[in-house]
Amino acid sequence: MINMEKIDKIIFGDNQFFGINHMSQEKAQQLSEKFFHIENIYKVYDIALRNGINAIMLNSNDRAKEICDHFRDNKSKYGHISWYPSIPYPHKYANMVNEKGIFPAINDVLFSNNSALGVLGMVAKGGLAVFNKDAIELMKMLVDVEVKMYKGLNVKVIFIQNIIVDLLLGYDVKDVFYEYCTYIRKKYNAIPGLITQNLPYLKTKLEEWGIEEVVICSSINKIGYLMSPDIQSYVETINKNDDTKYQLMAMSTLASGAIPATEAYSFINSLKLQSVVFGASSERNIKETVSLIHL
Amino acid sequence: MKKIKLGIIGMGRMGITHFSIINSHPQVEIVAVADTSKMTLDILKKYVPTVKVYKDYKELIDDSKPEALIVCTPPNLHYQVCNYAFEKDIHVFAEKPFTTDALQAEDLKRKFESKALINQVGYVNRFNDVFVTVKKYIKDGLIGDVVRFKSEMFSCTVTKKEESESWRSFRENGGGAVFEIAAHAIDLVNFIIGVPDKITGTSMNQIYSKHVEDIVSSTFIYKNGCTGTLYVNWSDTSYRKPANKLELFGPKGKILADQHGLKVFLNKDDEKTGYKKGWNTVYITDIFTPVPFYVRGNEFTRQLYHFANSILGKDNAKICTFSDGYDTQKVIHQIFSDAKVNSIND
Repeated sequence: MINMEKIDKIIFGDNQFFGINHMSQEKAQQLSEKFFHIENIYKVYDIALRNGINAIMLNSNDRAKEICDHFRDNKSKYGHISWYPSIPYPHKYANMVNEKGIFPAINDVLFSNNSALGVLGMVAKGGLAVFNKDAIELMKMLVDVEVKMYKGLNVKVIFIQNIIVDLLLGYDVKDVFYEYCTYIRKKYNAIPGLITQNLPYLKTKLEEWGIEEVVICSSINKIGYLMSPDIQSYVETINKNDDTKYQLMAMSTLASGAIPATEAYSFINSLKLQSVVFGASSERNIKETVSLIHL
Repeated sequence: MKKIKLGIIGMGRMGITHFSIINSHPQVEIVAVADTSKMTLDILKKYVPTVKVYKDYKELIDDSKPEALIVCTPPNLHYQVCNYAFEKDIHVFAEKPFTTDALQAEDLKRKFESKALINQVGYVNRFNDVFVTVKKYIKDGLIGDVVRFKSEMFSCTVTKKEESESWRSFRENGGGAVFEIAAHAIDLVNFIIGVPDKITGTSMNQIYSKHVEDIVSSTFIYKNGCTGTLYVNWSDTSYRKPANKLELFGPKGKILADQHGLKVFLNKDDEKTGYKKGWNTVYITDIFTPVPFYVRGNEFTRQLYHFANSILGKDNAKICTFSDGYDTQKVIHQIFSDAKVNSIND
């Protein structure tokens, strides 16, 4: 087995751009107003790059396609950046699933004439019958639909969002995880990534299933926010980890702002982590965070 | 270690989520699921071969003999499924809304209580860290007896005209903003303030839906003089995720709360909580308690673990029982009646 490529130590996230703040709906609204004009998003990316960040994590939401286009169109300026896409954008599917049930919703995404995602050309209509009973093939097609927008960018890791990872983790099915990881390596020549709010349990399961060379991204913060089952289990799991098998990335390091940055990162720096993803929108906060992370 | 044999009826969005969560409980074994979609059953059979699949819930109950059921069918089917479960002495967790008829809800409440079977309804806010904290503050008299309140809920559930019709398009089946969304905002009032004595001034709007309401507002009146308003809109695209908002006013101050945090305004310092005169902000990060396994919010795990632990005799708190589900059901149907009385189109 070839050694897993090392991931970037500091990765610039995107929650701040898309009106996501777990602690305050009001704060989320303010940010979403500020970043209504996409130029304001590009300005913040430029600040991050100026401050030594060379890696971007971007969720495949409604606005990501435009952002990807911008970076692709300016390759001479941005060609060195490593990309860490996270898929899918869950809210896109949530309402459809509500309306129709999960498999009809997937069917719609993949095969509907109205689908803006455009994989129709790939398979003849009525193709769903072919995939009947084969969730793996469905999964691969959904990955292709979501990853399409990142084509031509230097994609290092492809993450699945925690809502999907943790849902599947509860079913305790090896196949889906195994096939996803294999597919990402083979088709995209990227490292498979899994986002979870259950790091200790997910890592135990991956070991049990013999799935290695994976990046695991998880909320990791001093107060144990969004860390199931508890902070002690996280610290043990992280400090016992063999980073040639699993590279660990921390997100929500400030617990949505509940922990002051200095305190937050002195905790993060004390752990055996390979990477941190953080989001910020001012030069001051970006500079400060970069200066505080020492992995 | 004893394991509860559990079945899930209805593998739609909630059934799929509940499966994942309760499957993580060390003392629960999911033995069977039922759904009408062959494709869903085929996929489950292939990837989770230990679980038996059925097209008919009665067959599941007769054949797999579960001790406990999670019922996530369209709401108009809850009554018959719960009734059959009752006949076979099975503990039941039913999704919200509990039923589509208040008399059915009352019947189920009475029956399950008569046999001392564990019974719970999926009003998940009763397990949310913020709302549990608000209830405690009200009970402890932090702002005095509530005089006025607002319970609001917003979501972007229905944002265009429906292309095709499903059970969600008709009130008879449990569709519409009242059954699906307002039920949470009403239950939150019942949970924190109490069941209202009178419902008045209800009005409804349609924006996109053909047969059901998209917006509802109503006034709740209590014998002790407290009054409050309900406002729910499931076609509000300014909200990315469903949001519950609660505002409570009392003689000693006021509380504003949503799922993510709360603000307390006090007229005087409060010794017990340590809150100062004026505004005090409490974030979810200050009051959360972690859960053993997380899928989509701590409260979802907590409610199902509460159900399982109640059956195991490890948890006696009896949170969100059929009795609570019946109370909310009564208010829902009073709102429907009141809206009809107030309509000038009929």
